[in-house]
Amino acid sequence: MSDKNPKESLIGTDISGCEILQKVAEGGMGAVYKARHKALNRIVCVKILSPALANDKKAVELFLSEARAVAELDHPNIVNVYNVGKERGYYFIVMSFIEGQTLSIMLKRRKVLPINLVLDLFDGILKGLNVAHEKGIIHRDIKPSNILINNEMHPKIVDFGIAKKVDKDKGTTKTTELAGTAYFIAPEQALGRDLDTRADLYSIGASMYYVLTGQFPYNGKNTIDIIQKHINDPVPDPAKIRKDLPPWLAQAIQKLMSKDPAKRFQTAKETYLFFQKMRAEDQLRLKSGATGSVIDLETDSSLKIVKESPVVTTESIKKKRHEALLKNANTASNNSKPVLLPGLNESPVVAPKPKEPVRTHTPPPPIPADYHTNKFNADNQDVSPLVVAQTHKSHFKWTNLMDFAWIPVLMALSLASSYVFFLFGKICSVHVSPNLGFIANLVAPLTASQSAPYQLPIAGVCLIMLAAIFASSSIRAFSRSTMGLLVIAFISYMAGLFTPQVPYWDIKGIGDFIFSPEYSLCYFVVAGMWALSLCWRATLTKAEMFLGSALVILTVVLAYTATGLSIAPYTAGAVTKWLAFLGLLFALGAIYYLVTQKGVHSSIMAPTLCLFAAVACVWTYNVSGLANTMNTTLKVLASKINAGEMSRPSTQKDDEVGYVSVFQSEAFAHFNTFKRINLLSPEEKYKYLDKQITVFTKDSIPESYRPLMIEMLSAYYLSGPSRMTLLAWDYALGYPIQNFNQNAQNNNAYYFLLTLLYWFGILGCAANIVFREDE
Amino acid sequence: MSTFDIEFAAVTDIGKIREKNEDSVLISSELGLGVVADGMGGHSAGEIASNIAVHVLEETIRKVNNGALKMPDNFLPKLDKIERKLLMAANLANAAIYTTAQASVVYKMMGTTLTGVTFDGDNAVAVHVGDSRIYLYRDKKLVQVTTDHSLAMEHVRRGLLTKAEADKSKIQNVLTRAMGIKKNVEFDLLKFPVKIGDVMVLCSDGLYKGLTEKQMQELLEKGQNTPLVKLCKQLVRVSNDNDGQDNISTVMIKILPAKPLTLTQKIKRFFGKS
Repeated sequence: MSDKNPKESLIGTDISGCEILQKVAEGGMGAVYKARHKALNRIVCVKILSPALANDKKAVELFLSEARAVAELDHPNIVNVYNVGKERGYYFIVMSFIEGQTLSIMLKRRKVLPINLVLDLFDGILKGLNVAHEKGIIHRDIKPSNILINNEMHPKIVDFGIAKKVDKDKGTTKTTELAGTAYFIAPEQALGRDLDTRADLYSIGASMYYVLTGQFPYNGKNTIDIIQKHINDPVPDPAKIRKDLPPWLAQAIQKLMSKDPAKRFQTAKETYLFFQKMRAEDQLRLKSGATGSVIDLETDSSLKIVKESPVVTTESIKKKRHEALLKNANTASNNSKPVLLPGLNESPVVAPKPKEPVRTHTPPPPIPADYHTNKFNADNQDVSPLVVAQTHKSHFKWTNLMDFAWIPVLMALSLASSYVFFLFGKICSVHVSPNLGFIANLVAPLTASQSAPYQLPIAGVCLIMLAAIFASSSIRAFSRSTMGLLVIAFISYMAGLFTPQVPYWDIKGIGDFIFSPEYSLCYFVVAGMWALSLCWRATLTKAEMFLGSALVILTVVLAYTATGLSIAPYTAGAVTKWLAFLGLLFALGAIYYLVTQKGVHSSIMAPTLCLFAAVACVWTYNVSGLANTMNTTLKVLASKINAGEMSRPSTQKDDEVGYVSVFQSEAFAHFNTFKRINLLSPEEKYKYLDKQITVFTKDSIPESYRPLMIEMLSAYYLSGPSRMTLLAWDYALGYPIQNFNQNAQNNNAYYFLLTLLYWFGILGCAANIVFREDE
Repeated sequence: MSTFDIEFAAVTDIGKIREKNEDSVLISSELGLGVVADGMGGHSAGEIASNIAVHVLEETIRKVNNGALKMPDNFLPKLDKIERKLLMAANLANAAIYTTAQASVVYKMMGTTLTGVTFDGDNAVAVHVGDSRIYLYRDKKLVQVTTDHSLAMEHVRRGLLTKAEADKSKIQNVLTRAMGIKKNVEFDLLKFPVKIGDVMVLCSDGLYKGLTEKQMQELLEKGQNTPLVKLCKQLVRVSNDNDGQDNISTVMIKILPAKPLTLTQKIKRFFGKS
């Protein structure tokens, strides 16, 4: 059988009355397929041992031992085994197929999971594990990726693959893989000591720590490092990372993660009963509207924190209590009422016992306050887990208010960078030529042969400023403001570059122009930036999705109005005809991606790129008329000049222009036109082309456009027609901005835009501080 | 040019319970090279991995010596020529195993340890990865030269386990580094001076699991005058009797005083490249 390739050969075939549909996963031992059980007509999961291993006794035994281990267990929280055996040389296990996702994938979609959701899930997981433990089966590899969550948010433990591995092998096979996963491994397992069921409880604790805080309990530069931290380092306190964690939960997780198995909860049952009890108690406290200041000096001796967790000290408890008081004093929407602990001076910390024991045997319904608007329980099961995960996102946090002290710093930083870049632009403005396109003008200072006075030192200061802006993103309060700071710097540079005569931040009389077309370009920039910031985010709440979609539409509409020219778009061309539709399509694409958020990796790039494409399409569509008109005019002009040159007698001198024609013949006339014109000095060339334009257009072109036409024509003679077309397009694409620059000298549009961005940035920063996700 | 003669001997044994011998050994007096590799991975993959390891290592060193293969100048230029040669050979061997393993499902996850010694002047240069060992027997004392790249020994290094606990631990077989598992592997490179009378023992974990250091030292002391091959076989036999759960392999290298050169050798040396 070893010559069979499992990759293609199995799909569509029958194994044990199951039609193999598709491969779901592949591992070292074999592959997992989705299949349809023909007799029962239900979707099942078929695990097939790699044919290469079918002759390997040890591998077969291991494979079958998994099936046997799981078959012994019949519990709703453990994956079911229907059949096991060998058919056509393939060893197979038929199991129930679970439509859903693993806990680890669920976590990937957002940073942390809601506390009540985690407690609901682990209630089931612990119940399933308890059944396995009662049969003497240790899982040995409990981790979030081994927990499947179906669409009803019901957890199932999978992969008992190594359940008995270590015992049977007795450590004779050399391997580079430790049974278990470094991030969740119990110390005794990592040390190779004898295991009992309590090792799984450690992994449960580590997994809970991970899904509640979004961080592994221990991290290191390599696997060994992590493993050794499990053995040696003090147990971390999840409450340090996740502030809204109820103290009893933080302590229970730490208890589960005790190095000494004897100090953990002793059974899975004990663990889930404890959770149920504490949740019921929380529930009661919420219902009775208590302020959370229940203090009961009676102690529950089962919940002792071992000495190796120095993080829970009297100090930290005092702090917690203080924070809790603050919360209670300040906000009614407070969602986690911390249990206040009795003041203790010695290190064993004890949780209060409930005043009244309540319903310890039935899991209490989730606390509504923690779920906000999501209802994923029995009443509304079609809400996907993704949405559940997302609606529980923004918390109003008064503890974040300390960060408001950073706002003046942000104001100063943005003003300073703005001024520096304005200065830089002003100095560089000597390189700007009205006859160049927008892009060409932007880079002109960088490509100019000579630098203006002070250009280099100010450029240095600008670089330092940029570094400061990037460095500032490491400050938590500013983490979302980097983009805004960069845009302000860039706009300031443009302001200096294109309106050097206007004094810095001159906002006199901007009220008179609020509805002028130039200002709509300002609105376009702000709306675009906001839309972009929403596109550029991994997870969005429903409100943010709606806002983002609205902003995408607004941005595209503003792009249309801001670039609207008096020359109508050139709709005769095949490409431009479709550009408007394409722009619309891209905008819809951006909205589609924003709302659906398909895929983990594409969710950020796709809407962002779509937005860019939509704006680019609309912009190009609007200026296509101008570009086309310019191109046609220039081409006609050039051909007329060439024709005129050719019809000229070859020896004739042109006294008026004052150039001496060299040897010419009719055959080379066209070539010579180019050559002769290029031989002229710039002034002569200008005069010559000016004259030609006057001759051929009969003054139909306004005086102000002359230099531009001449510039483009000389590009035509210097580098050919394609260069001229390119320049014309650059000019046309930049025309709305050129126009904006022109008028900005009078209507202070730049400073209006800067002011908008400035306050927008400050408000954004403040909002970020207040509504920051809890971490 | 070494100022002493080197004698090599090698023995490999399948052990008492294994169905296959996944160890490979290689000695070459021409290259002055002794290698032990202990393969792992289901099916027959372990044998293949260890085989590729020793042969690519030997082949590369041979090719570099006779100029068929040139070492790139930018390959670890700070090291000695011999060290670079050995490391390059080991890296090539790793790449060979890794590509073979990636190419087929059957060979997926195969790997091997590698411990090899070669000589340069008065120095022995060793390359090492995995849990095979080099012992140096000198002045009636036996010292383990290499450190095992196993999780148990990592714990010992951190003081989380004692050496005695580690020897009984279930995680003794979990390697932290091995060839063929990753594209790049970090090798230990050791260089130490040798003296006349030194005996080096390269061995797979099968040997030292059935033989304590004390027993090994006694055997070497007693067998000072027995022929090296016989001594080699004796070590393997004792270990097999004691344990025999795994394949047992050993390479022994003895440093002997140089025999006086013949006239033709002297002339060759005089005109030859130093």
